[in-house]
Amino acid sequence: MNIIHLILGLFLAGIAAYGIGRLKPAAASWLTLAASWAALLILFLGGDTLAGGNAWGLLAFKMTPLGWFFSMTLLFVYSTNTFFNLSVPAAPTRQAAYPMLYLISLASTIGVFSAENWLALFIFWEIVLWSSTFMIGFGKPGRGSIIYFGMSLLGSFMMLFAILVMGTAYQTFEVKGALMAAAQSPGPALLVFLLMLFSAMVKLGITPFHIWMPEAYHEAPDHFAPVLAGGLSKLGAFTALMVTSFLPASTLMAQPWQVRGLPLLTYILLTVSAVSIVIGTLMAIKQEDAKKLLAYSSVANSGYIMIGMLMGTPMSVSGALVHLLAHALATTVTFMVMAAVARQTGTTRMDELGGLLHRMPITFLAFLTAILSLVGLPPMLGFVSKWLILQSLASQGLFLVAAAAIFGSIGSLLYAFRILSTVFLGQLKPKHRQVREAPAVLLIPLLLLSGVTLVLGIYPYGLVQYTAKIENSLGFADTVQITGLSIQGNNGNLNALLIMGAFAIGFLIALGIFLKAPKSRKVDLMDTYTGGEFIYSPELYSYSTNFFAPLERVYAGLPEISRLYEALANRVRDLGTLVQYLFFSPLPSRTALLISVVTILLIWGEAI
Amino acid sequence: MNALQSIGTGLGMALFGWLLQTTISGVTRKVIARIQKRRGPVWYQNFRDIMKLLNKRSVTHGWAFDFGLLVALAGAIGTAMFMPVAGIVAFKGFDNFFMIIYLAALGVFGRALSSGSSGNPLATIGVMRGLTQNIGYKVPYMLLVIALISYYRTSSISEIVELQRVSGWSVLVMPLGFVVAFISLHGMLGKKPFDTYLAPAEIASGPLVEYGGKQLGILMIAHELSVFIEVSLFVNLFLGGGATLPEFLLKYAFIYILSSSLGAVMGRFRIEQVVRFYYKVPIALTIVQILMLAVMRGGVR
Repeated sequence: MNIIHLILGLFLAGIAAYGIGRLKPAAASWLTLAASWAALLILFLGGDTLAGGNAWGLLAFKMTPLGWFFSMTLLFVYSTNTFFNLSVPAAPTRQAAYPMLYLISLASTIGVFSAENWLALFIFWEIVLWSSTFMIGFGKPGRGSIIYFGMSLLGSFMMLFAILVMGTAYQTFEVKGALMAAAQSPGPALLVFLLMLFSAMVKLGITPFHIWMPEAYHEAPDHFAPVLAGGLSKLGAFTALMVTSFLPASTLMAQPWQVRGLPLLTYILLTVSAVSIVIGTLMAIKQEDAKKLLAYSSVANSGYIMIGMLMGTPMSVSGALVHLLAHALATTVTFMVMAAVARQTGTTRMDELGGLLHRMPITFLAFLTAILSLVGLPPMLGFVSKWLILQSLASQGLFLVAAAAIFGSIGSLLYAFRILSTVFLGQLKPKHRQVREAPAVLLIPLLLLSGVTLVLGIYPYGLVQYTAKIENSLGFADTVQITGLSIQGNNGNLNALLIMGAFAIGFLIALGIFLKAPKSRKVDLMDTYTGGEFIYSPELYSYSTNFFAPLERVYAGLPEISRLYEALANRVRDLGTLVQYLFFSPLPSRTALLISVVTILLIWGEAI
Repeated sequence: MNALQSIGTGLGMALFGWLLQTTISGVTRKVIARIQKRRGPVWYQNFRDIMKLLNKRSVTHGWAFDFGLLVALAGAIGTAMFMPVAGIVAFKGFDNFFMIIYLAALGVFGRALSSGSSGNPLATIGVMRGLTQNIGYKVPYMLLVIALISYYRTSSISEIVELQRVSGWSVLVMPLGFVVAFISLHGMLGKKPFDTYLAPAEIASGPLVEYGGKQLGILMIAHELSVFIEVSLFVNLFLGGGATLPEFLLKYAFIYILSSSLGAVMGRFRIEQVVRFYYKVPIALTIVQILMLAVMRGGVR
């Protein structure tokens, strides 16, 4: 069994799923489940030494530690999400196409992470893009999939251009070789670096390329959004890390300007990522729809990943990789929970929900775990990565970026509480009194993912050790250090097990006090202090719309980047109108003029 | 030191912190009463309150209401266990600033979860204000401490205390930063003008509105502990901690009573005024302070 078999098998399973889906849709969903779990098992057992291969002498594949880490992350997201495919059927006409596209995009992501050749990587990248565009289109009507496709196309063009530049300048398309060749000779290396990084930023949703995220996440089918958010955006991190480690900015422009020991270019890109954190946070705080809120939180979290990778120290890169996994796990759970909530109640608008914790307690617990990880609180995995990244920022003395990271970190507490409070806490709406817990088949992936988040948060040593291995394979001189149970930072140590232990002791004491005290009587949610008012309608007795209104007023004047894109689109449209007016006119005289100008240019153009 | 001894020290620290802060808040109530020309309660009134509440029957609004409280108290106890006081530190090498801030934040999250699940919108509004205030004071505060960490090249609180013994208190290293950090601490403690999230006359004490009996008792214990964490963190980071216990206690009591007394003579901000306030002068001073540090750079090590 080698990688080619794996990829080919998933492709064939995808095509088979289409055929089966035409006859019996449920069977196709089961096929996606079986195929993706089998692939996960094969990849897990094969490890990063899974045999590579060479198909027809054209497409060479090789598994690297980095590729394995990314493949495992994505495969885990994909395969847990297949449970949602079972339970939430797509619209009838798409029942056959969806499983096919699902498996094909899965196969292609493995292709991206293991391809040895830039062109092969690009082809797989494009297959992922195309298949996911269609899958987004299966959701709510709107411009989401078009914006996604448009922005991604911009990224793809930049990437293709960079690949072709590398191909002509260095005569090689080999993934590692071309980047290393670029690092050696300046030439167009800077161009390659920027184009590659921009295309990665489009995928990761870094400002100013983030506008596709809220639209696409919002409109994607509820059972596909987890993969889109938790999995596919991580493709960008893969190429970005390849570029920043094999072609570091420090070799491109170490001179003349440096900021705090980092090249100016890196510093500018770090600032862009910091802006991404701030904008993502501020926008997330003011969303009314849960899925859009989570989308903007992804914008902010991508900023952290990017910062970790750009700083390029062993600890920061470890932080970025751990954050990538933490964010993949957590955001997948949050979107899955939203899918479950939407399935049970029919909406993801936060002002229409509330009090669901009394109806869906297990979903709530999974959501709580994920949200804590997103905020970066112990004992979840998100804390480990935030700690690593903040440590690196503090030891580099990058205060501007650190300020943004802190702002994003505290801001995440705000939007996380908003979504938690308006969906699960507060008054239960009368129309949701009959809502039941999500079916068991949906709870399995939720518990699996949040369980991994918790376990890795308490015991992250194996994971951090693996990031050290990745750093080794990427040619880092030194890697992140672990001695015993403590992760060695530049200016402090982290013992996740100890933190959990202290918390557990505290919890036992608290529980002891609680149980020792007299038992309390359970009262209804409406039985609250109202200051003497009589209240009858739970719908009116909740606080959810415009949740952070006072804070929003502070930054109400913030310009929105989507306006800029709209303005640009309008200019292009105007240009089109102008061209149409000039060259496609019904007036014969203008056509005659045009023909004569073209003829003159054809005859004497060379001379002019 | 073996593991059990460390855990014992940590638990002792948490208990000490609770006793200390509950006593000092009792004393402070007396001081504030005198400022306002009242007699005030006895100094051990807070102990009385907590004991009374823990023995009273009460109501609950569901399991998350109680669970959140337990998380709040667990977070506070867990964080207090790491706090170095007067040269005593339970888990040497692990009293990391970022860890303390994040573990304490878990307690805050637990409190927010609990009061949010009570179903009372006043509580939700209170939490909303509290979080908004949080984003106001935390950014200048954390930024300053990161500057401090980058100056001392360590994020371990006890090591920072040690280094201050060598090179003088951090208040001398960053005088402007000290002022900003004190203003931030004032907001952290929720003293006027930054008690908008409680605002008893307006939103009926916000997050606390639904509590009574043992729930309120547990909340009070958690509150005293988190005040202990906040104030002793400040004393350790900026005032050189204390070589001996009396020195530490003196600094601690001075800072807490000063902040409370200032609170006693001020009015209350509206919540957006809080954010606007913090993002003007304190942030500006922080940036000036960091630039000053960068100019006279060098660090201790």
